[in-house]
Amino acid sequence: MTILATEGLTRSFPRVTALDRLTVTVGPGVTGLVGANGAGKSTLIKILLGLLPPSAGSAQVLGMDVTVQGAEIRRVVGYMPEHDCLPPDLSATEFTVHMARMSGLPRTAARERAADVLRHVGLYEERYRPMGGYSTGMKQRVKLAQALVHDPRLVFLDEPTNGLDPQGRDEMLALIRRIGAEFGISVLVTSHLLGELERICDHVIVIDGGRLLRSSAIGEFTQTTQSVTVEVEEGQELLAARLAELGETVTAAGRALLLQVRAPETYDVLRDAVCDLDLCLVRVEQGRQRIEDVFKEPADV
Amino acid sequence: MSDRSPVPNAPEGGSPPAGPSAPGLPPGPAAPVGVIHDIGYRHYDGARLGRGHATAALTVHSLRGIFGLGRPARAKIIPFGLFGIMMLPAVVSIAIMALAQQRGMAYPGYAVALQPIIAIFLASQSPYAVAPDLRFRVLPLYLSRPVTLWDYVGAKLAAMTAALFLLLAVPLTVLFVGELLIDMPGAPLTSDYLASMAGAVAYAVLLAALGVAIASFTPRRGLGVASIIALYLLSSGVSTVLAAVMESVNDYTAAGWAWLVNPFFLVDAAVQVGIFGTEPAAPGAYPGGIGVAAAIAAVLGLTVLSVAALIMRYRKAASR
Repeated sequence: MTILATEGLTRSFPRVTALDRLTVTVGPGVTGLVGANGAGKSTLIKILLGLLPPSAGSAQVLGMDVTVQGAEIRRVVGYMPEHDCLPPDLSATEFTVHMARMSGLPRTAARERAADVLRHVGLYEERYRPMGGYSTGMKQRVKLAQALVHDPRLVFLDEPTNGLDPQGRDEMLALIRRIGAEFGISVLVTSHLLGELERICDHVIVIDGGRLLRSSAIGEFTQTTQSVTVEVEEGQELLAARLAELGETVTAAGRALLLQVRAPETYDVLRDAVCDLDLCLVRVEQGRQRIEDVFKEPADV
Repeated sequence: MSDRSPVPNAPEGGSPPAGPSAPGLPPGPAAPVGVIHDIGYRHYDGARLGRGHATAALTVHSLRGIFGLGRPARAKIIPFGLFGIMMLPAVVSIAIMALAQQRGMAYPGYAVALQPIIAIFLASQSPYAVAPDLRFRVLPLYLSRPVTLWDYVGAKLAAMTAALFLLLAVPLTVLFVGELLIDMPGAPLTSDYLASMAGAVAYAVLLAALGVAIASFTPRRGLGVASIIALYLLSSGVSTVLAAVMESVNDYTAAGWAWLVNPFFLVDAAVQVGIFGTEPAAPGAYPGGIGVAAAIAAVLGLTVLSVAALIMRYRKAASR
């Protein structure tokens, strides 16, 4: 089943080409859309919502054409924008009910759905207070709630983890995972951090400068580029030499070593090497893969 | 299978409330009381209404916002304070009629006499209808739903028009009902009342279009308030000064035209005096004949211009 598909999708603005012959297909589940700022992510979402006509090419969302069936698409799709979009003098409840009614839900259904959805995103007593006093984490939750309130079949989440602290980030990511898995709503989520998307996505699309760089299932990403950062108090060269001797790929990165993970055994090799050399281990950290890492590899891996 | 039909009517109420006796009861096999369900995520498969419904909901939501309903208490102070002041002349007139058997405020003169109050209401509340959606960028959320930009603009205009109409029509109607109840000597001034209600519609449409159009050009509410008040002061000042100058040189025709610079006198001249033939509420007479046609054309023209400016403004705002 195809949730959305684009074919040679192009959008040019007077000065820049935001999307350049983009052809992608997205299935159900959670799909990550990764790209640097200005890569064309927001333009793509606007086109998919039927708000911006493409300059060339075509796109289908849930089997509907974006240029002629925009209104029908917007009835069954949710959208969480990247920017702030909450009037500060309304409470989360009033706002979410209002947005449900804007999607065509009758008054009582809108109230029920709003209460349900606010509970699912984790807003309780504070939902009756004006939103002007909310923390960034709470605001992101309301933004997510208004995108889900009309029970869409697909949601577009534009940078949902923006501005959140590490814990808030983890909670938001877990929530997105639940939306895709438990709620049965397909998700297209954008980010410029590939590392955080790989934890929740089934499929990742990487675009840069409006072009498709890569589109593949998440397994292929993690297998090829997983790495750990290792920091030891002293004897970094010693450890690097020992690991290289044991057949691992190691590169020095400032005060730390970057170790490519071939297989789970790599971790054992690392542990044994550190023990044997009697080094003081400062940290071992799962490599946070960034968008730049993907750019370094050939696109057809 | 009939014994396995548990709580058939429960779903629309969500999880059934636990009975008060539930905690004390031993968990008997035939006691499905106080079961706690983790209902998880529920899909919605009820009605999804069309654009018209959403637009109506937006109009009501905006109208409530203009009067500060569903907002913190301080949002209610200005609209309800001004509404109270608008009611005062009606209440005082009813008292005069009851006690002295004399008429107080004339129906067609109501809006003109209270024009500063209406102008302040327009200035303070029309930015409230449009500016927050631009400033806090709520507009993209509306546009990501089935409503179109034109539905949005129409709903905002309708809400402001309805608010202004209520502001004028409620005191006028109270005054008329008071007159009927007191039973003044002579026939009730029904035609004057109806003319003033038609005037109220015209005032509401023209002023709402002007106010919302001006307010939509800035996301800053303070700036919107100041612009509308400035425009009102300018037009009423220019109109008064010009009319005074013309009257001092005994050119009363030109003075009549000068009054029309003020939108409140313009509507009075076009609708109440021009169409319904009431007494002019301005200090002098309005120009007759072609003047009526010109006033009607000016009211319509200004409304159309404002709506066109509003549409242009939102076309730009939506493409951001």
